[in-house]
Amino acid sequence: MIDTPPGDAIVAHDLTKVYGSVDHVDRQILTAMNGEAPRDGPALAKRLALSPSTVTQHLTRLGRSMAVDHVEMKVPSGGVFGLLGPNGAGKTTIIKLLTGLSDITDGTATVAGYDVQRYPMQVKQRIGWVAAEVILDDDFSAWENLWLQAKFQRLADWKPRAEELLKYFGLGDRRKDKVGTYSTGMRKKLEIALALLHQPSVIFMDEPTIGLDPSTRRMLWEFITGVNQEFGTTILLTSHYIEEADALCDHISIIDHGRFVASGTPSELKSRVHEDFVELETVETVTEAQLRAIPGVTEVRTQGKTWILRVSSAEEVLPRLFAHLRTDEIKRINVEKPSLETVFLDLTGRKIDDVGGEVFDYRKFYSTVRRARQ
Amino acid sequence: MTGETRYVTLPSPTASGSRLGVPQGTQFGGLYAREILRTFRNPWVLVITLVQPFMWLAFFGSSFANVPLAELEALLHIKIQGYLQFLLPGTLSTSMLSIGMFGSMSTIQDKRFGYMKRILLTPTSKATVFLAKALGSATRGLVQIPVMVVAALVFGVRFYGDPIMWAGWVLGLTLLGFGFSCLFLAVTASSTDWQTPGVISNFITMPLMFASNALFPAANFPKWMQYIAAWNPVSYSALFGRGIIVQGVADWTYLGYIAIFAALMMVAGTLVAARYLKVE
Ligand SMILES: Nc1ncnc2c1ncn2[C@@H]1O[C@H](COP(=O)(O)OP(=O)(O)OP(=O)(O)O)[C@@H](O)[C@H]1O
Ligand SMILES: [Mg+2]
Repeated sequence: MIDTPPGDAIVAHDLTKVYGSVDHVDRQILTAMNGEAPRDGPALAKRLALSPSTVTQHLTRLGRSMAVDHVEMKVPSGGVFGLLGPNGAGKTTIIKLLTGLSDITDGTATVAGYDVQRYPMQVKQRIGWVAAEVILDDDFSAWENLWLQAKFQRLADWKPRAEELLKYFGLGDRRKDKVGTYSTGMRKKLEIALALLHQPSVIFMDEPTIGLDPSTRRMLWEFITGVNQEFGTTILLTSHYIEEADALCDHISIIDHGRFVASGTPSELKSRVHEDFVELETVETVTEAQLRAIPGVTEVRTQGKTWILRVSSAEEVLPRLFAHLRTDEIKRINVEKPSLETVFLDLTGRKIDDVGGEVFDYRKFYSTVRRARQ
Repeated sequence: MTGETRYVTLPSPTASGSRLGVPQGTQFGGLYAREILRTFRNPWVLVITLVQPFMWLAFFGSSFANVPLAELEALLHIKIQGYLQFLLPGTLSTSMLSIGMFGSMSTIQDKRFGYMKRILLTPTSKATVFLAKALGSATRGLVQIPVMVVAALVFGVRFYGDPIMWAGWVLGLTLLGFGFSCLFLAVTASSTDWQTPGVISNFITMPLMFASNALFPAANFPKWMQYIAAWNPVSYSALFGRGIIVQGVADWTYLGYIAIFAALMMVAGTLVAARYLKVE
């Protein structure tokens, strides 16, 4: 192990990323905005001595593509930190900023004891990284991939460690085969082995189980927990699987549109919401007012064609619901008891696995990737 | 959020002077070995590298077969055995123009498949990646030299000069190939499109191939093309090689010019890549 920093493995302050070119004026405006919604254009113009239209232009430009928006985070050494959020929330971008892969627009970040912007090379010697899309050299064997990684990390005596890792992940007897012939699960395991080769003190995993079947996913969870406990490695992982974050993390931050909307231990988060949610699909003639009139319904929202009702208690409200609506008016009904899922629903107004009706199509994704590789 | 606006001191984006470097030798070795292994495991890259210059010699070299030697010598302004002897040093020089394309394509592949991220998330600098790709390309290009020399011998070309001159000739070609690889990689540093190398290749290869002494003597060119030819490193390499092979005379200043070209391209390319090499 190179060195385990005492205290916090990751500290980020005001971490902000705006994609696209960011000039000096942008930086000042970003600083002045400091996490506020870009509304007070004129006041800002006065402060910065610019014409209001310039500021408005800039704010629009910045506001539209602010991928990470003044995020504060702290991960203690040895912890497992989860970033939970829907597609496009900014999870990958945060990893890119913390690993020095992408330039930070504003704010500071310290990883493994080093400032990411000032000492990127020192940070990179101390971190491991597992990509959401598996990144290996398919023309090379597992052993050769490990050998290249050892070269990139400047490791002299890497072979015993590589043997150990291959054995740990059950890849020992396939090590001479080209990685291109491996299954998705094996590739993922090899990727984690590569990330661990130089004994990093912090490891970043971007959606570590995306595209894996439930049993492989569970096996990988055990490996991840094992890595954290056996090697004492701090882990930051992103996910949009609630049960994954719940099972693995000792701290979760829920991220939406580049902002942290809630943070805490899984049980703290779960205790935030005491009410139940009722998802309801009805015929089109049912109106919002009709639903609001039901006693016990505290809030009515829509997500696509589905109503989402926040209710004091599903057991009490459901009978009233059936009394208010005719049975042929109800197409589908679903009750969510307090869980991380309802916390997410409460904070963002959306279900995490159902954002905008878009579902990630793995088969299409992988066939596209395979075609691109040919 | 508090209502009061706070001003945070922003780190200056140019504060890179404080960066602590990490030695790059091992990473360079790994990257270079990867380039070479990939080439030699992919038979098609080798076939293209070898067949293309051979075709040039066979077809282009035969295009003056029915012209009497005296007329050809008058046209080319030099005493020769045949056009092939005149052409060999030129073709080897022009084939160094496009070898940067291999490095450029392998770089774009690494960006597209994300491998560039894997590399750059280790203590490996963009400059190191750039230099490994450029040297990898140049090495690939060198494979052409023995093949073409053997082919030329088979076609009956006689070589003048001595081993030291020939070594200098090969060194010149190596430097030329390395220089153009650097140029090619620098121009495509920020590209992620498969088509770019092909397009750039046309822009670099076509003008520099014909506006040089490689295929025909510049004395026959119009003024503007002569001007380009006078600055074109391909000309120096062709004249250097031709002097050795055809006349047995080595003008070492040509080698000096080529070395300066290679050094300039390496420095400029490294600076460009360190700044503009895209990750994905
Ligand atoms: N290179 C880029 N240029 C411009 N915009 C980008 C770039 N990368 C990401 N974005 C934008 O930044 C936002 C956050 O993207 P990011 O990839 O961090 O999301 P994510 O939470 O990882 O999503 P997912 O779950 O789909 O992986 C998105 O709106 C995305 O369109
Ligand atoms: Mg992502």
